[in-house]
Amino acid sequence: MRLFRDAFRFQAALTLRSPDTVHVLVTAPLYTVVFMAISRHAHRTDLAAYAVLAPVLMSLWSLALLTAGDLISRERSRGTLEAMVATPASFPVVVLARITAVTTISTVSFVESWLVAWWPFGVVVRVEHPLTLLWCLVLSALAMAGTASAMSALYVLLPTARTLQNSFTYPFYLLGGILVPVSYLPEWLRPLSRLVFLSWSSDLLRSALSPAPVVDELPRLAAIAVLGAAGCAVGGLMITRILRRVRSTGTLART
Amino acid sequence: MTDAVETRSLRRTFPARAGRGGGEIVALGGVDLSIPSGSVRGLLGPNGAGKTTLCKILSTVLLPSSGTASVLGHDVRHETLAVKRSIGVVFGGDRGLYGRLTPRQNLQLWGALYDLHGRALSRRVDELLERVGLSGRARDRVDGFSRGMKQRLHLARGLISDPRVLILDEPTSGMDPVAVRDFRGLIGELTAEGRTLLLTTHDMAEAEAVCDEVTLIDNGVLLATDTPARLAARLSTLERVEADGVADDVLAGLSALSGVSKAHRETGGRVVVHTTTPAATSEVLALLVSAGVTALRTVRPSLEEVYLHVIGDRGMLVSP
Ligand SMILES: Nc1ncnc2c1ncn2[C@@H]1O[C@H](COP(=O)(O)OP(=O)(O)O)[C@@H](O)[C@H]1O
Ligand SMILES: [Mg+2]
Repeated sequence: MRLFRDAFRFQAALTLRSPDTVHVLVTAPLYTVVFMAISRHAHRTDLAAYAVLAPVLMSLWSLALLTAGDLISRERSRGTLEAMVATPASFPVVVLARITAVTTISTVSFVESWLVAWWPFGVVVRVEHPLTLLWCLVLSALAMAGTASAMSALYVLLPTARTLQNSFTYPFYLLGGILVPVSYLPEWLRPLSRLVFLSWSSDLLRSALSPAPVVDELPRLAAIAVLGAAGCAVGGLMITRILRRVRSTGTLART
Repeated sequence: MTDAVETRSLRRTFPARAGRGGGEIVALGGVDLSIPSGSVRGLLGPNGAGKTTLCKILSTVLLPSSGTASVLGHDVRHETLAVKRSIGVVFGGDRGLYGRLTPRQNLQLWGALYDLHGRALSRRVDELLERVGLSGRARDRVDGFSRGMKQRLHLARGLISDPRVLILDEPTSGMDPVAVRDFRGLIGELTAEGRTLLLTTHDMAEAEAVCDEVTLIDNGVLLATDTPARLAARLSTLERVEADGVADDVLAGLSALSGVSKAHRETGGRVVVHTTTPAATSEVLALLVSAGVTALRTVRPSLEEVYLHVIGDRGMLVSP
């Protein structure tokens, strides 16, 4: 646990100095502006919750994938992978802690997004169920870290997956019900989207902003946790496998 | 004294890269190495000799293909965690650091990876920064550091777990002379504390300056192990004679002797005679003395010459 905390703190320091973070945290409020402008123009200010939440989830997803995408390969090119593997620390725990730091930082975009709705659009998005919101953000950040750690391993095992890195954004924004609710998606896509933790996160976050009482709060939080834990387990297994392979072949790349 | 590091018939191969046909690259071909506890061992060899491969196996990040290796009695293959806890590793180069962070932040991460946390970690980090002379720069970004400073930070990183055995892979590459001198001082301190050091290098002067014993390695094979002085002495065949005031006809006579491999006059007039046997050296000395030459001396080869001789001329193998 202390390893997790220290690795988290380290990555937080590193991420706050990274241009990727700046990029994501600068673009998130711009998306909010776009979505707010559209909803206002359509006279649908009731959609403000979407306009505020979509950029938050987008930055959560994209920053996590950007960082996770080259966490392992960057350690390798920096020459720290071997030294890190030579320490007694559990490498999967270190990876998970570091990605969690990134996802936690990206939840800052919620504040940005909320402020942009308030000024210049003058829409105060009320948080009707603050505890639900908080729990949902925390669990989503953890689930995102689990998913991203699996991605970081995938990129190493299948270098071609890296070329698809950018394609991992919009399809998931859709499946995750970030831009439009899952219920608007074609019937056949819905079961699939239920396997993506983001779809649970985005629904529940919107519920947290809406005055109606939140139904099935615990099962919905549990769905996020379970899908996140599954990502975590897969990521941990894959990273362990990668390390075993590096130790026997002496190289990360598949030959 | 027990051995801190021990390898038996240690072999490591890599599949040959595509394009070079089948077969395999033998990075280490059955290495037997013993490093006594508390000593500084140099591993000296050209690029591609297998030095880094050996360091990686000892630090458990690479598996042996066959044979065994152990650190403080712990097998690198099976007792991985125990080995990891007893060694510190510094892989050379100026990579391996987080440039956007401060040296303190860098060291804090590595300490946490060795299960140091909280105040114990802060204390250890301060102590090490002081020790490698980076206290004054503790709050600056590592990006702006010179290579020598980065190298010292590397060394601090290797020491973070207070390891009994320290493996340094080309630690001084890229250091300026002042940094190298400080580095040597630090090596002295570390051995005074009873640590065992394995230090790879292709710099002869360095091996000669800091190592108790030096092992020559080439093509994955250990060629010889001895103290720098005795390694040189073992190659007494390599002795040479230097003399001033030698006439040309005497020089011609020297060249004609059977045990003389080379006799030439340097700019400045000094004659240097390379001999291949101790008997030849005596003959050369006798001839010079009878020719009335009094300014003469025999010169032991430096480690550098031994190295060039053993590794540069593979036809003449030294029996280990
Ligand atoms: N991961 C690897 N894959 C293939 N060949 C390797 C690998 N690592 C090292 N080698 C080969 O093994 C030999 C020894 O390399 P190395 O131990 O790095 O030498 P040194 O450190 O003495 O320069 C070289 O021929 C090198 O090309
Ligand atoms: Mg090397």
